[in-house]
Amino acid sequence: MMLAIREIQRGKGRFATIVAALSLIVFLVLVLGALADGLFYGATGAVRSTSAAAYVFSGDAEGSLVRSRLDESDVAAVAAAPGVEQAGPVGVLLTGGAGPQGPVDLAVFGIEPGSAGTPTTLVEGRLPEAGEAGAAAADTRLRDDGVAVGSTIAVGGIPATIVGFVADSSYQLQPTLWTSVGTWREMRDAVRPELRGQPTAISAIAVVAPASTDLAQIAAAVTGATALSAEQTGLAIPGVEQQSSTLNSIIYTTLAVAGLVVALFFALLVLEKRELFAALKALGSSTGRLGRGVILQAAIASVLGVVLGALLARLFGLVIPPEVPTLFRTDTLVTIAIFTLVAGVVGALFSLRRIARIDPATAIGGAL
Amino acid sequence: MTDAMTPGPTSEDPVLAATGSVPNGPGEPPALDATHHASALLRVSDVRKVYGEGHTEVVAVADATMAVDQGEFVALLGPSGSGKTTLISIVGGLLSPSGGTVTLGGSDVTGLSKKDLTAFRAERVGFVFQSANLVPFLTARENLLYVASLVKGTSRAQAQARADGLLEELGLGARAKNLPEQLSGGERQRVAIGRALMNDPDLVLVDEPTAALDTAMGRQVVELLRREIKGRGKTGIMVTHDLRMVEYTDRVFEILDGHLTHVEEPSALRH
Repeated sequence: MMLAIREIQRGKGRFATIVAALSLIVFLVLVLGALADGLFYGATGAVRSTSAAAYVFSGDAEGSLVRSRLDESDVAAVAAAPGVEQAGPVGVLLTGGAGPQGPVDLAVFGIEPGSAGTPTTLVEGRLPEAGEAGAAAADTRLRDDGVAVGSTIAVGGIPATIVGFVADSSYQLQPTLWTSVGTWREMRDAVRPELRGQPTAISAIAVVAPASTDLAQIAAAVTGATALSAEQTGLAIPGVEQQSSTLNSIIYTTLAVAGLVVALFFALLVLEKRELFAALKALGSSTGRLGRGVILQAAIASVLGVVLGALLARLFGLVIPPEVPTLFRTDTLVTIAIFTLVAGVVGALFSLRRIARIDPATAIGGAL
Repeated sequence: MTDAMTPGPTSEDPVLAATGSVPNGPGEPPALDATHHASALLRVSDVRKVYGEGHTEVVAVADATMAVDQGEFVALLGPSGSGKTTLISIVGGLLSPSGGTVTLGGSDVTGLSKKDLTAFRAERVGFVFQSANLVPFLTARENLLYVASLVKGTSRAQAQARADGLLEELGLGARAKNLPEQLSGGERQRVAIGRALMNDPDLVLVDEPTAALDTAMGRQVVELLRREIKGRGKTGIMVTHDLRMVEYTDRVFEILDGHLTHVEEPSALRH
């Protein structure tokens, strides 16, 4: 072990190369990961951050909250379905509104506060109370647009007073506004004149039920309806699943490249030290001892690469414009750190065969 | 006998220098000589090494038999390709012979597994290579400590004390913290000698130690080797093709085309 560590200490230049390469790879992967997370969380926040375990949609909605059309009278039928603990109406409207500092993009969610579909990520103030009209909880992202508790946001001229903030609740990358079904419907009628005259229409029904509940049975409560779990509803949002799988395959391919870079680096290092390793074997070093040294070096290089790469990525995170949906999550960092370490060590393992093949007898006679 | 072999005024004997003759004729065959060394520390019996098979068969060493006593420093002399490297590699546990046995202090080396051979080399054999082959990123002292770490149960403090003592004795006390690249060729070879002696081996094998050195430096190194090996009661074998270096040894085994031909007194080879 002394051998491995001294080699790094006294050959900082060459090890700096591999650490630099690894940190750039880690940086790239972390930024991609932050983008993947940002897109995913930004698109699906509104369906992940509520009490709902599943949603019931009209049959033609294909799992889209925006496209779905149900009636308030369906809520009671769904509530009576086997396994359902709570059912609540959900109205969704993608629109724009007037905030304190000008126009804002919005996704307005009409819910029945306290029932299924109520946000669970309140970070400031309170949620609108049941039956309270003209009040709304806002997505924390709206703070950037100057919205505070007590501000007013108007949609199509219908005002709502902000009474609280909920975190991680974007929908299709737009900040959300959580209000009563009544206020939601007024706003809908104001901006979508063609939908007027449907006083009991809602988009979908949020359901609280144990994870083991059969969703098909719930869907059967309403003719022609379908039901998806909250997670499936998130993935059914257009582009979400495709974005995640594309970015994840880029991330894992890049990590495989990290493994190859480490493999190549240590293969060269071992090649260069063949004569020395032959002599050390002749002196009584085992292949295992020499191999463990190389693996320790790869692990040290990987750890340093991860630390530097993460630092770079965080610094980069500070200068990314807020419009770019990025989210630096510790979970993702830990996963990527583990994968990099594994890729580095696996890469170095390829050198073991080379070390094992070095014949100590070549140390004598001076001819390799 | 030891004293008689030490280089002294006799090495400048004008008669010998003038005639260049071999005064006491060719020595005995090593196999016969071995019978005179009943209590030899190292005994090589009928060792063969054959590479390839069938019509590509090459006999590198043929039925080598030799015996070296404890405290002896001998030379294995032969031209390149004579099999001296193969023979010394077998003796040092680096190569397995195709036949025959090597015993060191009564224990058979040839039967050892690869793993046991590694431990055997670390604990009982010291090697000095042609080009010192020190670890370039370890200081002189660390090069010595590294081989100590290869032997299980060596205490760190003990190893450090021994390394410091050896370096001092080899005149390298002031160079202990230097990296090999900061040392001269002779100093590097002296560090290599210290490394070979570090684990207090029974046998010290030296492979062409002067190949990379000029004559004066070469003589110094070989003289030092002799002093250390004999002073510590070790058994040393030096592979060389350099006749000038054999005067520092007690006996010379000659090898040609894989055959150990005879054993000489070094004085017989003086020229």
